[in-house]
Amino acid sequence: MNFKDSLPIYIQIKEYLCRQIITGKLEPNQMIPSVRNLAKQLTVNVNTIQKALRQMINSGLLVTKRGEGNYVTSDKKLLEKIKRDMIVAEQRKFVQNMKSIGITPKQTHLILANHLK
Amino acid sequence: MDNLLEIRDLTYKKNLKTILNNINLNLQPGKIVALLGENGAGKTTLMRVISGMAKNYRGTVKLSGESKEAQRKARLSFTDSLTGFNNSTKIKDIVKFYEIIYQDFDGKQFEQLRQFMKLDSEMRLSEMSKGMREKLIIALAFSRKVDLYLLDEPFSGIDAMARKKIINSIILWKPEKSTILVSDHFVNEIASMLDEIVIIKDKTIYAHKSTEEIREHHKSVEDYYEGLYDAEDE
Repeated sequence: MNFKDSLPIYIQIKEYLCRQIITGKLEPNQMIPSVRNLAKQLTVNVNTIQKALRQMINSGLLVTKRGEGNYVTSDKKLLEKIKRDMIVAEQRKFVQNMKSIGITPKQTHLILANHLK
Repeated sequence: MDNLLEIRDLTYKKNLKTILNNINLNLQPGKIVALLGENGAGKTTLMRVISGMAKNYRGTVKLSGESKEAQRKARLSFTDSLTGFNNSTKIKDIVKFYEIIYQDFDGKQFEQLRQFMKLDSEMRLSEMSKGMREKLIIALAFSRKVDLYLLDEPFSGIDAMARKKIINSIILWKPEKSTILVSDHFVNEIASMLDEIVIIKDKTIYAHKSTEEIREHHKSVEDYYEGLYDAEDE
C-alpha cells in the first residue's frame, strides 16, 4: 500500500481497513490481522497501527476479544451506516473536485448522468 | 510519560571547535525517531555523546534515569561500524565476539535476524556488499535487549531491497518499550515508519516534531524537512 505523504497515516489505515470491511474483503466477525502483521504488511510502525485500530474500536467497527485479537463487528446497522458515510464522503469529494475545475453542480449532474448511460 | 532519554544543555567541543551547542532533547519510550541533518551537522557526534563514547561534554545526558556513562552504555545499543574487525573475519566469529562482550546479546535472536536478512554465517566481511554489511550491523544491534537503539545512517549507499529489509526489521524487532534513534540525511523513504523527527542544524536541535502532526497540517514530512533549508536560501 502506498500512502499519501500529506495525510496522517493512521487516517489512511483507517480508510483502508474500512474499505476492506465495506467491500467484504474483511467480513463481519472475521478476525483482522495482528498489529505486528499489519505493521509489516503496510511498513508503518506499530504505534501508528494501534492509533488507527483504537479509533476503530472506539467507533465500534472493531471489537476486541481479550487475548485473541480484533474482530470486525457483526452490527449490521453500524456497517450500513459506515457505508453510507463513505458514500457521502465520496460524493462530496467528487462534487468538490468538479467545482475546483469550474463545473457547476448542475453540469456535474448532467455529466454524470451521461457518463453512466 | 517518563522520558527515556533526557538531554539538558549539552555542549560539545573538539579541538576548541564547537560541534554541538546547547542541545536539549527528550525522547519517550516506544518511539521510532529519525535524527536528520546535513552531512557534518553533528548527528554522529550526538549519538557518540549519548552512547558515552564521546566524553568531556558539558550538560547532562540521562538514559532511563541514569546519567553515568557505564550505566548508559549497558542500556543502549549503538550500531558498530565493524571497522575493528579484520576483513577476513566471518560473521559467526563476529557473533562469538558479541556474545562475550555483551551479556544481553541473544544468540537465538541473532539467528532469527540473520535468517530474516538472508545472511550466511560463513561469509567473510570482505565478501559482503554495502547492503549486506548494513544488514549485519542492524542484526547485531537488535540482538541485544536495551532501552535505546542508536542506528547511525543504516540506509546510506544501499539499494532499495536492502533498505526495505532493514525498515522491516526495525518495525518487527523493536521491543515495544524501546526507542530507536536512526540518523539519515533523507527522510522520504523512511517517513512512513517514523513517529517523530529531530532535526540538527546550526549545531543544535532545530526542530523536534511528530510526523503525524506534520501530516495533519497537510504537509509531507519531506516537504517540512526541505522547507527548513529552503527558507534559509531565500
